Amino acid sequence: MTIVLIPSSRGRLGRAATLIAAAAVFAPVVVAQSPPREVIERGHQQFQQSCGFCHGADATGGRGPDLVRSTLVAHDVNSNLIGEIIRSGRPDKGMPPLPLTRAQVADIAAYLHARAREALDSGQVPGNYPLSRLLTGNAQAGKAYFNGAGGCAACHSPTGDLAHVARRYAPLELEAHMLAPSHRPATVIVTLPEGEQVKGTLVHLDEFTIGLGDASGWYRSFSRENAKVDVQDPLAAHHELLNRLSQDEVHNLFAYLVTLK
Amino acid sequence: MRNRIAVLILGVRQSRLCRLLCGKAQPFPPGGQQQKKNIAFSFGWFPESRRVSAQQAAKPRHPSRTVGPRFFHTFLALVSFGAVAPGLLVAQGLTPEKLLQPSPDTWPTYNGDYSGRRFSTLDQINSGNVSSLTLAWAFHARTASIKSTPLEVNGILYLTTPDNVWAIDARFGHEIWHYRRVSQGDHIGHRGVGMYGDWLYFTTPDAHLVSLNAKDGSKRWEIELADPKLGYFSTMSPLVVRNHVLVGVSGDVTDIPGFLDSVEPETGKVQWRWYTEPRPGEPGSETWPKNSDAIRHGGGMTWMTGTYDPKLNLVYWGTGNPNPVLAGQARPGDNLYTCSIVALNADTGKLEWHFQPSPHDVHDWDAVETPVLFDAEFDGKPRNLLAQASRNGFFFVLDRTNGQHLVTTPFIDQTWASGVDERGRPVRKPEYDPRPDGALVEPASDGATNWMSPSFSPATGLFYVNARRTFSIFYLTSTGKAEGWAGRDRDLWVNSTIRALDYRTGKVVWSHEIGDGEGGAGIMTTAGHLLFTGDTQGNLLALNPSTGETLWHLNAGAQMLNCPMTYELDGRQYVLMAADDTLYAFALPASRGE
Repeated sequence: MTIVLIPSSRGRLGRAATLIAAAAVFAPVVVAQSPPREVIERGHQQFQQSCGFCHGADATGGRGPDLVRSTLVAHDVNSNLIGEIIRSGRPDKGMPPLPLTRAQVADIAAYLHARAREALDSGQVPGNYPLSRLLTGNAQAGKAYFNGAGGCAACHSPTGDLAHVARRYAPLELEAHMLAPSHRPATVIVTLPEGEQVKGTLVHLDEFTIGLGDASGWYRSFSRENAKVDVQDPLAAHHELLNRLSQDEVHNLFAYLVTLK
Repeated sequence: MRNRIAVLILGVRQSRLCRLLCGKAQPFPPGGQQQKKNIAFSFGWFPESRRVSAQQAAKPRHPSRTVGPRFFHTFLALVSFGAVAPGLLVAQGLTPEKLLQPSPDTWPTYNGDYSGRRFSTLDQINSGNVSSLTLAWAFHARTASIKSTPLEVNGILYLTTPDNVWAIDARFGHEIWHYRRVSQGDHIGHRGVGMYGDWLYFTTPDAHLVSLNAKDGSKRWEIELADPKLGYFSTMSPLVVRNHVLVGVSGDVTDIPGFLDSVEPETGKVQWRWYTEPRPGEPGSETWPKNSDAIRHGGGMTWMTGTYDPKLNLVYWGTGNPNPVLAGQARPGDNLYTCSIVALNADTGKLEWHFQPSPHDVHDWDAVETPVLFDAEFDGKPRNLLAQASRNGFFFVLDRTNGQHLVTTPFIDQTWASGVDERGRPVRKPEYDPRPDGALVEPASDGATNWMSPSFSPATGLFYVNARRTFSIFYLTSTGKAEGWAGRDRDLWVNSTIRALDYRTGKVVWSHEIGDGEGGAGIMTTAGHLLFTGDTQGNLLALNPSTGETLWHLNAGAQMLNCPMTYELDGRQYVLMAADDTLYAFALPASRGE
């Protein structure tokens, strides 16, 4: 049988909380389907040529206002508002009319909407976040910490479980797994009032009940009222480490793990 | 179907009763307005099971002419003695005066009263009998997790999820009406409605404020608080103070200014608006960069319900994080009045004082957690206090008359502050700011606590908070001009507790483990010497508020994500807690024959 582990923050309940948190960041403004990448790129080129001098090459403003945060852009649908401004200009604010074709205006609008979307999506670290931005530590110092003060070598080996670990994960994932590995089943020993001991893999634990998969693979559960529960969590050392790692130690350790290719 | 059967039986009973006793004072003239749904409508008029069916009920011609259950009892008694003429029926409803001292048969504001203490004087359910607590009824919202606190007025509960309001029979749990208004925008959660007279005030995912008739859920008016296309939305439960409906906004994904509106209860006209950011040149503007548009895009949302001191006529409100969220380099300075507790004149919105728990926040640590008001001894003197357990992991106590700082103490482990400055504000360690290669920080952006209600018990003198150990790594990802979040933190490990703090020092008196994962339940304490809350594993809990010992629990099957509330009707105390999308009402077992 399969035992599903639900003990931690990535369990059923924790995941709900994470999704809720994520929703806070990623769902607030409904935006239309994104146009193809080449349209946005064409719009970017046209924007730089025609608008960049005042609004900045990336539309974040200069002499003219920031258009990523623009109310008008937020309300624009199919370049109806942006087009009007481009064609008529804003003489009162020193913006001349620009003789652009309908297609060029549409490309610029696509680019501006893409920039607004980028700001909306900026609350998400991309999965392909480059290694070069993460790799600021000293691998030698990381190795020393691994074998020394960090106590990592007590459970891990660069030629054993961590051999080629840098090949197994994208850089961002490697850093996350280093700090908080995926769940390893905790083992638990339940001692019943008569002295009988039941050992197994932890399935559920709260203040009142304990559930485990025993050696035969069957699920068993007990009230904690009369049972002694001894959980051996292989991640306990990681949780403890989070309390004492300095920023340098995080980055040095990461730099060391990156060498384990 | 269940509702309709009950309605038919009770409706007939009611109708006959009303005709017999009320005579020409019958409040529902024939030929009334069309009803929205073929369900029961329960009015403040009718106590307990006395209800009318939709077919029989119609809106009264004069909405203000309603009376509460107690009056009706009295009325029935007097009529049966032939002592009162029916014409004596007078206007009632939830007047602002009643909000000053809510009676224990009501829970008329988000926090139950203006103090935000979430302490109830009810003690029928108490530490001696809580072990026999039983389910009175359950209500399934079936739309989204319930994160709101229902109001309870005249035997009717008003419950919300995003886009939805229900009126529910507070005794039996039956749906009375359901208002649904689907809109675009953020549906992260909803905290509840506000009430004034016979009217409800409901905020929406597209940043509108809707006023509903509490009797039948029909819409009276609707206003747009802010432009949803810019990223505004609203989830909070409006606070009614005097003739002001105070309503705040959410939305930190885009760089927009926060504000608090005071709205006229009858018309929806905005009476005053307080912006979180000062105008350039005003006091506080010096905490923003000059020659930049940062101050106009500085965030500081007002997304939780504040508190009110009627004697000082001051409203206390917490404000959210500055924008861009993680990119402090875009906005050097303290960034007032973001991540602040502000005291505003209730009638004018004028800022009287402020205190900033997180100056120049770069971790999304909104200081919106309830500013709890209580009067207690401090350093040997009686003081008017305000306490907040803030999302950044620190507990603050202020003198609420003038904002004078009294206590700053971490209520849980934190790694980001090196100490406290002379004004009582935590001092940030720069290396714990978000950075491109990641900064490991406790607490995470979700915070050491969050919107889940704290509680202060005058009986124990302790302040209670849902306190989480949350670690995450903060990445600053923006290159160029930072806009929006400009990065994000990644959760590593979370484990939660309920903690009792000594308000005089902030020291932890006891800590009760509630499991791995993020605690999401609010706290309520009662004169029955009980603390109600929930753990991370789906258990609802009643604890001893002096020791943290568990006195009662129930596996509700899903995590509690709202805040407990209580009321007493017909001599029976109910405690309400929600697990995911189900609202549960608990009470002591009803004796046989009742």
